[in-house]
Amino acid sequence: MTLFSEAKGRQVVSTSTADTVGKVHELVVDPATRSVLALELKKTASGDTLRYTDITAFGEDAVTVAGADAITEAGEDVAALLGKDHHLIGKRVLSSAGDDLGKVTDVEFAAESGRVTALHLESSEVSGQRLLGVGSYAVVVAAEQ
Amino acid sequence: MSRLMRTSEITKRPVVTMAGEDVAQVKDVVYAAGGGAVGGFTLAGRGLFSGPLKQSLAWSAVTALGSDAVMIADESVLEPTQTLLDASAASGGSGGDVLGSQVLTDTGTDLGTVVDVVLEVGDTRGGACDVVGYEIEASEALGTKGTKVLIPLPDTLAASGQHLMVPASAKDFVSHDLAGFGASVAAFRAQLEGPK
Repeated sequence: MTLFSEAKGRQVVSTSTADTVGKVHELVVDPATRSVLALELKKTASGDTLRYTDITAFGEDAVTVAGADAITEAGEDVAALLGKDHHLIGKRVLSSAGDDLGKVTDVEFAAESGRVTALHLESSEVSGQRLLGVGSYAVVVAAEQ
Repeated sequence: MSRLMRTSEITKRPVVTMAGEDVAQVKDVVYAAGGGAVGGFTLAGRGLFSGPLKQSLAWSAVTALGSDAVMIADESVLEPTQTLLDASAASGGSGGDVLGSQVLTDTGTDLGTVVDVVLEVGDTRGGACDVVGYEIEASEALGTKGTKVLIPLPDTLAASGQHLMVPASAKDFVSHDLAGFGASVAAFRAQLEGPK
């Protein structure tokens, strides 16, 4: 499992040229699929978006891609999830029962699939399976049964 | 499990969609069915300078009423305020404000004035949101003049906007905090129904 805090700042390296083609700036989460849809990058020539499916590997020390052309401008689906309103870290967590559970301190995801496996809160942990929505006000998770 | 809440705790609470957006906040509670249940909420916008909204929230559209937010599926469940008020009036809701009313027993004793309304919120969608009691500032009759106490209510009661009539026995089921109040409400209602 990888944490968002560890993933940010990781280099993106092309396997064909061995060049560093960017740096991970943010992870774009799609609450509908409960997974990382794309990486928002910094310091690239061709754009700032790398779709998770275009990644060769999300390694412990670097993210690898086949070539720099995998990095593009954000498509419509990714663009809709960019920006502070859709970030998880630092946001309050509300259960679907309307109770405040605390703030998100970190997010854990499976490097192979990009699936969000857990949300770390100040004093608890919520399974990624419970994620329902990420909005400007709160991250909403299913209430415990 | 259902929970007890004061209406004063519900006003200003944010109305949040399952997508995590705060689309409004609760302005006032609208009562329905003779004042015995909550019909819905009128809303105000979020933020310092936003005023009342033209849209309201019917209780049937509320997914959950929690201690920190009122949850709804999405913004489309809001309806024009007039629709909610009409529905409430049609079911016999007074719409009148009970705060400040004097609570009188049917034997003519003044128990105090209403300072808050206590609701019992069912936890599943489709459950009712019932008025189960009032918080009153006690009169001398309760022996604790000036303190705030909770009194349970029968399912229906007469209210005029000035007075609320309760059975004399309500006095025996007064409690001092919400923790013990649920049991008081149940005991009081069981006693009103009489032996089965």
